[in-house]
Amino acid sequence: MALLRASGEHAGENYDLSAVLGDSGRDTGIPDADVLIRLAEAVVGYDTDEIAAARQAVLDRMGAAALVDAAAVAANFNAIDRVADSIGIPLEEEKALHSEEFREELGINGFGKMTVNVASERHSS
Amino acid sequence: MSFLTFDAASMPIRDDIVEALPQVWAQIGEPGTWLTAEVRVAVAAESRHARHCALCAERKETLSPYSVQGKHDSLGMLPAEKVEVVHRVMTDSGRIVEHWFQAMCDSGVPETEYVEMIGVIACTVGIDTFCRGIGIEPPRLPEPQPGEPSGKRVPEDQLNRDLAFAPTIRPEIDGPLQNEFFPGGPPTAAHIRRALTSVPDTQRQFWLMVNTLYMNGLQMRDFSTEYRAITHAQIELVAGRVSAINQCVY
Repeated sequence: MALLRASGEHAGENYDLSAVLGDSGRDTGIPDADVLIRLAEAVVGYDTDEIAAARQAVLDRMGAAALVDAAAVAANFNAIDRVADSIGIPLEEEKALHSEEFREELGINGFGKMTVNVASERHSS
Repeated sequence: MSFLTFDAASMPIRDDIVEALPQVWAQIGEPGTWLTAEVRVAVAAESRHARHCALCAERKETLSPYSVQGKHDSLGMLPAEKVEVVHRVMTDSGRIVEHWFQAMCDSGVPETEYVEMIGVIACTVGIDTFCRGIGIEPPRLPEPQPGEPSGKRVPEDQLNRDLAFAPTIRPEIDGPLQNEFFPGGPPTAAHIRRALTSVPDTQRQFWLMVNTLYMNGLQMRDFSTEYRAITHAQIELVAGRVSAINQCVY
């Protein structure tokens, strides 16, 4: 999240960070966010039909190289999150300070205590 | 030899992925630092099986996951305490707490084995998720290779026991492991880069995968250059969404 915000600052954009918490991604300001979010949600699950549909959506819109890289990033964080939480590493003090405002605003401080809405549930509804 | 290839992929896969991920997968089938190859492969197998566990599903639904007791639906290849580690990490990692980690250590999973198990689980998850993403079947489990775990222990005076639940290498000491893992010195030793360092071979295996699937530390913060077919913003959007689903604050 901090890197997403930093990326936006570098690009002179004010991205809507709420997309990572379950919005469709259409209003983030990030190109193709909707299909990327759908892919991210699909590949951490096991619904083969939804994964195939999400994969095809990225392919159609962004091409094969983008699909490979998006799948790689999703895979990486599905792994790295487990390392961070299992080893119990805290957020660095500097990162905690920089992210304090948006963590509170977006409800990230409540992680581990709630269930996050999944946008793919909206795709099927 | 690795059972992971990308021959079945319907799209070109980056050369660095084709080179690195089969190595990572094959290493799961090799003797580790504290675990035999058989146990490492069993951990990978149990990682894949955990999502079918009724106890884990019940725990996932409750506000107090540590209050729900019972027996895991397991493959029967690992002792109960190791099954508990694998299933908890696979199905509810965002709610892992220190007292549970301590209970695992007290019940027969030494912290050294625990850290190595986390590495195996993470590499299995990473590779399986990537395969799902590009539309190929996850690879066959590696064949366990003969040999004994190396037992190569990081000296106690190199370890920090105050940062996390599990020990991590102290970056401020001038030593070969520090130079290898934190080449930019202590300021570059992000906590996630320290997480698995108490078992150096586990650290190496995991970061071979991470640096390939994601980006290295310099690329990550270089917003002036795009290193992938998606932009930094798109990368961090995907990363953030996955982490939110996993309830990972880090």
